[in-house]
Amino acid sequence: MFLTIQATFRRNYLVMRHSLPYTSIIGSLLSGFYMILFSYLIYKIMFNGKLDDSFIKYTGSSDYITFAVLGSTVYILSISVLLIVSRSLISELRQGTLETIFLSPASRQGYFLGCMLQGLMLVGIEFIGILVMGFFFGLDITNINPISASITLVLIIFSFYSQALVLGAIMVWFRDTYITQNTLITLMGLISGVSFPIEYLPDWLQYLSKIMPLTFGLVAFRETIMLGGELVSSFESISYLIMLTTCYFLIGKYLLIKVEKNILEKITE
Amino acid sequence: MIKVEQVYKTYINKHRNFLFFSETRQTEAVCGVDLYVNPGEIVGLLGMNGAGKTTLIKMMSTLLSPTSGTITIDGMDVVKDALKVKSIVNMIAGGERMLYFRLTGRQNLEYFGNLYGLRGSLLKDRINYLLSKVGLEKAADTPVERYSKGMKQRLQIARGLINDPKYLFLDEPTLGLDVSVAKRLREFVQELVHREGKGIVLTSHYLEEIEELCDRVYIANNGRIIMHDTPKNLVFNITHGNVLNIVVPEINDKLNNNLRTLIELHNANIEISSNEEGILISIKSKKDITTEVVQTIYNSNVNLISLYIEKPKLEDAILQLENGVA
Repeated sequence: MFLTIQATFRRNYLVMRHSLPYTSIIGSLLSGFYMILFSYLIYKIMFNGKLDDSFIKYTGSSDYITFAVLGSTVYILSISVLLIVSRSLISELRQGTLETIFLSPASRQGYFLGCMLQGLMLVGIEFIGILVMGFFFGLDITNINPISASITLVLIIFSFYSQALVLGAIMVWFRDTYITQNTLITLMGLISGVSFPIEYLPDWLQYLSKIMPLTFGLVAFRETIMLGGELVSSFESISYLIMLTTCYFLIGKYLLIKVEKNILEKITE
Repeated sequence: MIKVEQVYKTYINKHRNFLFFSETRQTEAVCGVDLYVNPGEIVGLLGMNGAGKTTLIKMMSTLLSPTSGTITIDGMDVVKDALKVKSIVNMIAGGERMLYFRLTGRQNLEYFGNLYGLRGSLLKDRINYLLSKVGLEKAADTPVERYSKGMKQRLQIARGLINDPKYLFLDEPTLGLDVSVAKRLREFVQELVHREGKGIVLTSHYLEEIEELCDRVYIANNGRIIMHDTPKNLVFNITHGNVLNIVVPEINDKLNNNLRTLIELHNANIEISSNEEGILISIKSKKDITTEVVQTIYNSNVNLISLYIEKPKLEDAILQLENGVA
């Protein structure tokens, strides 16, 4: 599996070096900027910089800007990881190389991990870029617990990876990227607590938010950065995150086996 | 040895009738096919579009699973032992796909080699060997998007051989190639079989290619194998032998009678017409009766202006099969 990870990483790196996706990077940075700006303007202009007690009760902090910047940054990270992994198969299908991948005995997970790890090179730039922009709006990370934050971030990335396997299978099944990815991304942005705590949502939407790894990832990540919490202090969120990651991984793996057969038959028919 | 036994493949499709209404349809792509391929031989798979050739090749190469029946390669089941089978087979399809256009030829081969677990000097040597074999050493470090169609196809061949497969599936490998490149490819395929002992399954719409390369040919129609033999025997059995064309200045009664007797004796067919040179006698016979015919003409005191033998090709045989003549 390691050789497949390494080979796919290198292949994607060479393709990226051949034509660096400037527009994609700028697009992600701009999305992050607009999200932060939107939250900032609402907070400052509409709410006059004031929050009610419920926000503090739900988040344990009164720093809305840091809350929103971290939400936007991890949300953009989730989109990038989801798209990199989930679109890899359908891209192979469109460029006519899918059969050569399936023809080989290479590990499928090695292939997806290679795609994700290479993609993280660019995602890392976007992540740091959005955080840097956040500082201009008032991002405060003085309470950060760096080790817990780093571990949480790795767990979050792998949860998005698992979710991307399911998304990728759906995309290949329906041979659609646009509707599938945009539906999920919009839903995640709305119900996962990116700009406001999920407790503000109606009950039924709160239940729906519980199937999104982003929801628990954000709670845990904010805990380690805004409140300086140890991993233990966000045990519940981390546990849910790991549970969801495992579920998505298993479902994704199962669906991809089904989809592989289906798509190869559709190509041949 | 590749062994295909009583293999069926059914595709199940949903056809949308109106908005949310759809009906399920079944398509029998392959129906009860038996086939074998020994190492060191080239086996052709012929048939019209939709005959099930590509489905069969993809099942043998592990890409598709049979609905029923078994396919084994060197005793390994293509479904149960798919990973082991994948390491000893490969497939080359015609056209320009199956390559990464933004990578160079060498980078493509490195990637595919890695997918088969090859690395280091072993992979490097293999790539250099294949690049020289397909004549792409000079273009090895050029991005594939700048390759001509023929160069892309040659790189495809190198890709298909990267894991040094024991069995190779060639699906229309010379599709769209110019004559010289296609000829070189055919020579290379023969070399792979005769020098390296690989077993090759070849599908092609160019029947001369099949006739030139294949030791045995399977003819498929509507998912079934309808004939199987050597190309020579297939042509002979379907077209009923060669056509002997003789031009004489005249036909006297003696020649006419003698020829009719000969034709009856050998159960042959005769057609007489006239052309610019004289009278053309065309005799179609399963057995070669050239000597007897020439002797008959000589004995009938008729001069012989010209004689030529028309050997039917596999193309003629397939056309006859298609038309239901055979």
